[in-house]
Amino acid sequence: MSSSLVLRSTFSRSLVHRLAARSVTHARYATSEATQFKYVPGGPIIQGTVNDPTTFPPPSRSHGSYHWSFERLLSAGLVPLTAAAFFTTGSNYPVIDGLLGVTLVMHSHIGFDSCLVDYLHPRKFPVLGKVATWTLRTATVATLVGLYQFNTNDIGLTELIARVWTA
Amino acid sequence: MQSLLTAGRSVHLALGKRAFSSSARRWQAVPQEKPVLMKEFKIYRWNPDQPEKKPELQSYKIDLNQTGPMILDALIKIKNEIDPTLTFRRSCREGICGSCAMNIDGQNTLACLCRIDREGSKNTKIYPLPHMYVVKDLVPDMTLFYKQYKSIQPWLQNDNPPEKGEHLQSPEDRRKLDGMYECILCACCSTSCPSYWWSQDEYLGPATLMQAYRWIADSRDTQGAERKERLQNELSLYRCHTIFNCTRTCPKGLNPAAAIAKIKLELAVD
Amino acid sequence: MMSTRALGLGPALRKAAFFPNATRKQTMLRNIVAKRSIQIQSLPPSAGQEILNKQRLVRPSTPHFTIYQPQLTWIASIFNRVTGVGLSVLLYGFSIAYLVAPGTFDSAHVVEVVAGLPEGVKYAGKAILAAPFAFHSLNGIRHLSWDSIKFLSLKGAYVSGYIVLGATAISTVALTLIK
Repeated sequence: MSSSLVLRSTFSRSLVHRLAARSVTHARYATSEATQFKYVPGGPIIQGTVNDPTTFPPPSRSHGSYHWSFERLLSAGLVPLTAAAFFTTGSNYPVIDGLLGVTLVMHSHIGFDSCLVDYLHPRKFPVLGKVATWTLRTATVATLVGLYQFNTNDIGLTELIARVWTA
Repeated sequence: MQSLLTAGRSVHLALGKRAFSSSARRWQAVPQEKPVLMKEFKIYRWNPDQPEKKPELQSYKIDLNQTGPMILDALIKIKNEIDPTLTFRRSCREGICGSCAMNIDGQNTLACLCRIDREGSKNTKIYPLPHMYVVKDLVPDMTLFYKQYKSIQPWLQNDNPPEKGEHLQSPEDRRKLDGMYECILCACCSTSCPSYWWSQDEYLGPATLMQAYRWIADSRDTQGAERKERLQNELSLYRCHTIFNCTRTCPKGLNPAAAIAKIKLELAVD
Repeated sequence: MMSTRALGLGPALRKAAFFPNATRKQTMLRNIVAKRSIQIQSLPPSAGQEILNKQRLVRPSTPHFTIYQPQLTWIASIFNRVTGVGLSVLLYGFSIAYLVAPGTFDSAHVVEVVAGLPEGVKYAGKAILAAPFAFHSLNGIRHLSWDSIKFLSLKGAYVSGYIVLGATAISTVALTLIK
């Protein structure tokens, strides 16, 4: 305000008016930007200027290459395990049921989890994403326990499939 | 008057070959009337000046016998003669600038390298690159794509440059870059990738990842470890599920899917 | 007009016509503009960001899977995920059901229920289970070979894709016919 007083004495009235309007707009743009154009992941508003590179999440091998290698080894392990389950019966080789009961569930869990990361990631769905992730974790634990009990107290997974198939 | 002028010009074009061979015969040649072959083009339209109006397909009919062979020729003809408001990017018209990338009949490709299907009964649908924000008509906002490309630091980094002369590389090492350095960053592959559709705010997409590998694989670059370390998270690289849409659609015949598979394997054995 | 364009004389002629009294014309123009009293709002450079962001907010997103050509590549990938999820839901569903009510979901009861179904339903059910299992397993092997840098060309992807489809059909029939 004081600057405009000084200016009034030296410059024409219209110029002062224009300068004042400019400083007002300046302030308006500075404040409204933060609130009105919030960055939403996947939304049209972009973080930083056009010339800033995008940033990377903090590196974590357990979410990166270790996770990937583990999943591939697991999947590769399922190939001989499935073949073995085909040609033996679970009651003779309970170890196959035991291994399947763990690897199959882990393979399923990673598969479900990658669906959640693709479609319901917490960065986009802060509530639903977290609920889904924890629901999956709970379901996986329940499945592990349920399948373990079925394998120990009942006839086991492969024998069940064989009997249902030929029922 | 205008139609007479254009008709006259097109006859010249049709006789182009003969006309150049001899100037005397040019005036003796009998203009051949080509049959009219009308084809319908349905083109995605959205105008930022009327944002409340939903995007729609607008239909244009042009005579293919008065049009060049490529989709870009058809677009330019429509813009010149029917609707000057039709907006699209184009520059080199020979598949080296990557400007005219768009979705033509369901496939991402460069309009300048895509032949018009001369079946007149079938229409051709032209959309912008899929799952991108539209600036206008066929022009998508590429800002994020370029920012992601910048994030992989696409330049040679060597902390121990040779004292004299240039970086040397064996022909064998140089060959590792073939099929990657040719990328023109048209974004056809990235915008064909379903993973990029769902997670493009974090997943880098095939084009950027292939360029990341182009620098990882370069024997002259010493920052490979840092380059790989940046990809060690669940989103930047590992949203790739080897769907192969990228390789399928690349108008330059490159193979981003293979480059990404190689990054994953290198990260795994690291 | 055509001839000036052909000879490339356009710019030169224009310059000759306008340059000598260009400064006079400019002042005249400025007076006219001032008299019209057009309101020009002066904005700081930072306002550009707001104008751009305002436009960004109204931009539509272009259509994607609804307009993309169905190709073996991504259709097979969708089926790989759908079949995997389907089989896993079955595994989870049965295991959790057994955990909750071991009395109703024990093997004897399950086999009894299935045995009581009509023959047609049994075959249909077996086919519905065998097809996803065969496809997911065989396509999984295809994925594992890709991960170890094999069949990574476009041709390799397509040939292996058709092999998987053929092998899925054969194994589905074979598995369904097992008595």
